[in-house]
Amino acid sequence: MSGGKGKGGWLRGYAFVYLLFLYAPILLLPLFAFNDATVIAFPLSGFTTKWFGELAQIEALQGAVKSSLLVAITSAVFATILGTCGALAATRHRFPAKRAIMGFIMLPLVLPEIIVAVSLLVVILRAGLDTGLWAVIAGHTLICTPFAIAILNSAFAALDGSMEEASIDLGETRLSTFRLITLPLVMPGIISALLISFTISMDEFIIAFFLSSSEPTLPVYLWSMLRFPKQLPAVMALGTILVIASILLLTIAEYFRRRGIARAGGKQTGGFL
Amino acid sequence: MTAENPIISLKGVQKYYGEYHALRGIDLEIGAGEFFSLLGPSGCGKTTLLRVIAGFEDVSDGVVMIGGADMEGVPANKRPTNMVFQSYAIFPHLNVAQNVGFGLRKRSDLSRADKRALVEEALEMVGLTGFGERAASALSGGQRQRVALARALVLKPKVLLLDEPLSALDKKMRDQMQRELRRLQRHVGITFILVTHDQEEALIMSDRIAVMFDGEIAQLANPQTLYRRPVSRRVGEFIGVMNFLPGTAMLQKSRDIEVQVDGLGAAIVSQEQCPAGIAGGPVSIGIRPETLAILAPDEQTERSVAHGEVVEVTYYGDMTYYEVRLEGTDKLLTISMKNFVGREVLARGANARIAWDARSLVVFGA
Repeated sequence: MSGGKGKGGWLRGYAFVYLLFLYAPILLLPLFAFNDATVIAFPLSGFTTKWFGELAQIEALQGAVKSSLLVAITSAVFATILGTCGALAATRHRFPAKRAIMGFIMLPLVLPEIIVAVSLLVVILRAGLDTGLWAVIAGHTLICTPFAIAILNSAFAALDGSMEEASIDLGETRLSTFRLITLPLVMPGIISALLISFTISMDEFIIAFFLSSSEPTLPVYLWSMLRFPKQLPAVMALGTILVIASILLLTIAEYFRRRGIARAGGKQTGGFL
Repeated sequence: MTAENPIISLKGVQKYYGEYHALRGIDLEIGAGEFFSLLGPSGCGKTTLLRVIAGFEDVSDGVVMIGGADMEGVPANKRPTNMVFQSYAIFPHLNVAQNVGFGLRKRSDLSRADKRALVEEALEMVGLTGFGERAASALSGGQRQRVALARALVLKPKVLLLDEPLSALDKKMRDQMQRELRRLQRHVGITFILVTHDQEEALIMSDRIAVMFDGEIAQLANPQTLYRRPVSRRVGEFIGVMNFLPGTAMLQKSRDIEVQVDGLGAAIVSQEQCPAGIAGGPVSIGIRPETLAILAPDEQTERSVAHGEVVEVTYYGDMTYYEVRLEGTDKLLTISMKNFVGREVLARGANARIAWDARSLVVFGA
């Protein structure tokens, strides 16, 4: 509150430059996606939506979208199931070397994706298997699971354990308690984990590039389009769609995560947004 | 520690958490229809004992019988007990009626209309008629507590277990719920087992109280006996306020015992006033503040009289608490006096004539 002078003003300027650095390149995407010129350069020459129309004409693009959706949905479901098991173990049970084991499960969060991609490629080839979308699904499940665990951990931790005990006390079994009490109360967390995993998988490039073989996912296809300068504006259009979809999905996911914690009566902790 | 017609019977119950010895051999019988309290400071094992009865904790050793049946291997969902949790554990995604009817789900012998009638009846019993459609999240603390009670009582358990059910409520609400719980228990006739750390709450509500320290039952008695004849200094200190004065006991051939109380003088006490038994020699004498009185200057008494100086006065409106230093000692006595019309509140520094009665003393080993 120093009125733009001194330290406060300097910090404000820094924050502005910082945000510009983060988001300016992304803001250029829609700018050129709606620009009526094949060359990506200033000055802008007029407004058009023809690049979006052009996207719809490319058949290979539709294949890539299908591949990406298949990979993203499948790996989101796998990651969320594995994440639910992991979060249950972390919040409801005690076992030896728990911290170390949980640490190893969370490791892919910081592991360079190129390492994951190369190792998976080596393993698959050594095993005499073919790469393909299934391999991408395996890789994406691996990198999405820690995110799912982190989200579900906060959902399970916010759930008062006596809720489950009360249900058992009232005559339900452990299994029916999970279905009737636990699942509905952590459902927002599960939806959030699904959406975040889906978004991560949808946008992931390196693993998909190494393992997708002849069926490129959307980011891989997008990358291959870059070789053709004439298609650059269409790439911009595609990128714009992806950015908007990602932001939308992440926002919905965070909304569900917070609603879940509020519903279970917990305090706001953690989260990625 | 027996009860007529016991509904719950514990024999030699032990509970270990790793190295930690949480329950050290609990023997206990609780009668059908009793309002029973487990009272003790935090960490004394009272909640563990309640959870053992509910079936949430296995015993490391010993026998738990409910209604004459051995509960070994019987999980919580198959026991004839229901619990009101400290946090109430109201299911937030269900409305009030769904919460109360939760335990009736599996009762295939009941029609839908029967279940609805039972839920309505349970809600009426706790004073929440017409609340069925309310969302659980829209309830106040007191209302959540009532829903938790209705949810447990609708199943007509043999035993209702209450884990510190009033600790989350403010004082006014708590006083009201204490009376209501008492009334409810008499009305339904179900055995209530209450876990609490609040001695006043236990005294107000219970037929019998088990005071627990360090995983053991220190004393099991009705409220009056517990208050008037605590078996140890520790119990005496935990229940209400108690003064302790050092003294010496001289054993006599008759049933009575002569004790010399520092600052007060000699007194003859009965065997009942030595609840833990007594040997000759140094003892500790417990005196409740309300059994002492400060006499008005011209007041006559048949009781024994001691002298002292008022060093602190605490005025509570209906009562006044005095700290009095006994003449010839450095011992302070707490004395509580009802504020009658015409009784003056003394000032600090005033001389006090203290009336005391040998029958109100409790003698402990030193």
